[in-house]
Amino acid sequence: MRRDDGVFRELIDDYLVECLPLAERVADGFVELERRRREGASEDGLLASLQGMLHTVKGNSAMMGLAPAQELAHALEDLSALLGRDGAPESEGGGAALLVAGGGLLVEQVRAAAEGGDPGRTAEFVAQVHAFAARTSEPTVPLGRRGGERRSAPETRPEGAANVVRVDFRRLDAMLEVLGEGLIEHSAVVEAFRRVARRGGAGEEIGDLDRAIVAMEKTMKRLEAVVMETRLLPISTVFGRFPRQLRDIAHSQRKRVRLVVSGGETSLDKAVLDRLGEPLLHLLNNAVVHGIEDPDERLRAGKPEEGTLELSAASQSGRVIIHLTDDGRGLDETKILAEAESLGLDVRSADPARIRALIFLPGFSTAAQVSQLAGRGVGLDVVAGSIRGLGGTIEVESRPGRGVTFVLDLPLTLAVVRSLIVEVDRERYAVPISQVAETVRTEPEAMRQINGRGVTLWRGDLIPVSDGGALLGTGGRPAAPRRFFVVISSGGRRRGVLVDRLMGHQDVVVKGLDRTLGRPEMVSGTTILGDGRVACILDAARILEREVPA
Amino acid sequence: MPNSFLVVDDSKLVHRMYRLIFSRGNLAGSTVYHANDGREGYSMLAAHPELSLVLLDLNMPQINGLELLIRRQAERLHLHVPIVLVTTETTAGDELRGRAAGAWDYLRKPFQPSDVESLVARVLAASPAASA
Repeated sequence: MRRDDGVFRELIDDYLVECLPLAERVADGFVELERRRREGASEDGLLASLQGMLHTVKGNSAMMGLAPAQELAHALEDLSALLGRDGAPESEGGGAALLVAGGGLLVEQVRAAAEGGDPGRTAEFVAQVHAFAARTSEPTVPLGRRGGERRSAPETRPEGAANVVRVDFRRLDAMLEVLGEGLIEHSAVVEAFRRVARRGGAGEEIGDLDRAIVAMEKTMKRLEAVVMETRLLPISTVFGRFPRQLRDIAHSQRKRVRLVVSGGETSLDKAVLDRLGEPLLHLLNNAVVHGIEDPDERLRAGKPEEGTLELSAASQSGRVIIHLTDDGRGLDETKILAEAESLGLDVRSADPARIRALIFLPGFSTAAQVSQLAGRGVGLDVVAGSIRGLGGTIEVESRPGRGVTFVLDLPLTLAVVRSLIVEVDRERYAVPISQVAETVRTEPEAMRQINGRGVTLWRGDLIPVSDGGALLGTGGRPAAPRRFFVVISSGGRRRGVLVDRLMGHQDVVVKGLDRTLGRPEMVSGTTILGDGRVACILDAARILEREVPA
Repeated sequence: MPNSFLVVDDSKLVHRMYRLIFSRGNLAGSTVYHANDGREGYSMLAAHPELSLVLLDLNMPQINGLELLIRRQAERLHLHVPIVLVTTETTAGDELRGRAAGAWDYLRKPFQPSDVESLVARVLAASPAASA
C-alpha cells in the first residue's frame, strides 16, 4: 500500500466532469461508426478521434485508481485498433456491435466510478474482446501492448474552441434574476413617467425625458436579448443521445427503426432543454413500442421493414416547434372514443382535435398504451404535463394506418413570457399569449345559458364561458357587464373568460411562487407589473381542466 | 529561488492532480505553469528558460509530446531544460525514439505524488546548480 494511495480521491467530481462526456461521445461515436460501416459511408477519421478519447479516459481512470473503467477503455482501444486496420474484419464478425456494447458499458463504469465501478462486467467484456480477436485470428496484434503515440487525427474540434469559457450555470441564473429586476424597475420608470406626462405642464424637459426613456427601453431589450443568448444551447445536446437509446429500445422490441434528425442547431434556453429530454424520450419510446409495427406486419401493410422516426426542430416567432413523426399504425380513433365513453366522458360533440387530445388525459389507456417500457407509470399524461409545465403545448395529428405526428410548441425561455395583461375586479392577471386564442368584445346577446352554464358562439363553435371574477375568486356577479372575453386554449380545449379590461401585451418576467403557498390551482407564477403591483400568471391548461359554473 | 515547473497535458483532471502534487510535501511552494496543448506548451517553454523540469504528456491531439520534443530539438530551444515524457505505456522502440528526440526520461501513468517527488529529486541532483 503506497503511502499516498487515494490522494486523488477528492477529485472524483473533476473526473466525472471530464470523463463522463468523453465516454458518452465514445459510445455515441461507436453507434455512428456501426451505422456508417453498415451503409458503406465514409468514416472520415471517426475511429481515430474516438481512440484519442478512449486513451484519455483510460489514463484518467488509471490515475484515479479506477480499474474497471481503465481496463475497459484499454480493451476498447485494442478492439478499435483491430477494426481500424486495413482489411479489418468487418461487422459480420460483430466487431462494430461489440464496440457499441463496450461503449455503453464504459459510460456506466465511468458513471459508477464514485462507487468503484463493476469489475465483473469489465472482465466479461474483456473476455469477449479476446474471443473476438481469436476468432478473427489476428496473430500479429499482441493485445495489451499499444504504441504510445496518438496519430494526429483530424479531430473535429469545434470552431473557436479557444474562445469558449466554462461558466457555472447558476451564475447565468443570477444574471437573469438581476436582469429581471432591472426590467421590472424599468417598467416602473415608464409608468411614473407616463403619470407625470399626463399631468402636463412639465415643460420642454418632458421631451428629453421621453427620448431618454425610449432609448433606455431599447437598451434594456438588447440587454435582455444578450443575456438570454448566453443561456441558449443547441437542441442537438438533447437530440444527440437519442440514436443510441433508440437503438436499444428497438432492439428489445425486436423492431427495426431508424431515427432521422433535423434542426439540431435550433437553440433553446438551457433550463428548458434540461427538462425536455425526458418527455421527448418517452415519446420516442412510445412511438417504437406502440406506433411502429413489427417487421412482418409492416411488410404486409406494404411498408418498408424498417420504421422511420423523424425528429425535427425549428424556431418560429419566438417559439421552438418540435415535430416527432412516425410511419406506424396511427391512432385508432374508434378505440379512443370507446375508452372515453367507458371512462364516462362526454365526447359526442367533440371535434377530431379534441378526441385525439384525449390520449393526454391521466388514466387514459387503450390496450396499446400500457407497456413496461413506456410504463412504470409514465404515460402520455405525464409527458403532456411536463411540456405544459415548461409553458409549452403538445398536440397530436394522426393518419390512420400511416402514422402519427406529435407537435410540441415550446417557449425559448422560462424566464420571460410574452403575455396578455387583463383586469378583472381591479386585479391584474397575465395570460401567456401561447394560451390565448383570441380576445373578443362581449355582446351580451351572444351569450347563452345551457344547463346553467354559460356558452357562446365563437368561430362557429359553441364554447363554454366563465365569469373571470367567479373563476378567479374575486367575486360572483360583477357590477357592470364585463366588456371583453378572452378565449384561452390548451390541449384542444377552449373556454371564454369574461374580463373587465384588456391592457395589452407585455414581456413579463416570471417569478416563481413560494413553496409555502402550496400549488395554487390556476396560477403558474407571478410577476410584478410596471406599476409595482403583483399579477398572477394564469395557467390555461389547469383552468381548462376544471369544470366551473359560469 | 523556488523551483519552477511546466506541465503540459490536454486533460483538466490531470492538471488538477499536478496542482495537488506540487502543493504538498517538499514540492510545496513550487511555481507551476500549466499548458493545455502542445502549442501552448511550446510557447511557455520559450518564455521560461529558468524551468527546472517539464512534464510533457505524450498523447495530445494536434501536436503530441513527441512532435513538441522534435521541434524543440530542431530549433535548439532551451536544451538545458529537462523534459520528461508522460505516457500510459510505451514499447522499447517508442522509448528509443523519445530519448533520441531529447526526452530526459519517461514517467508512467498512473503516477502518484511520490513518483513525481522522486523524479524531481533525481532531476535536481543531476543538473548543475542553476544560477538565478
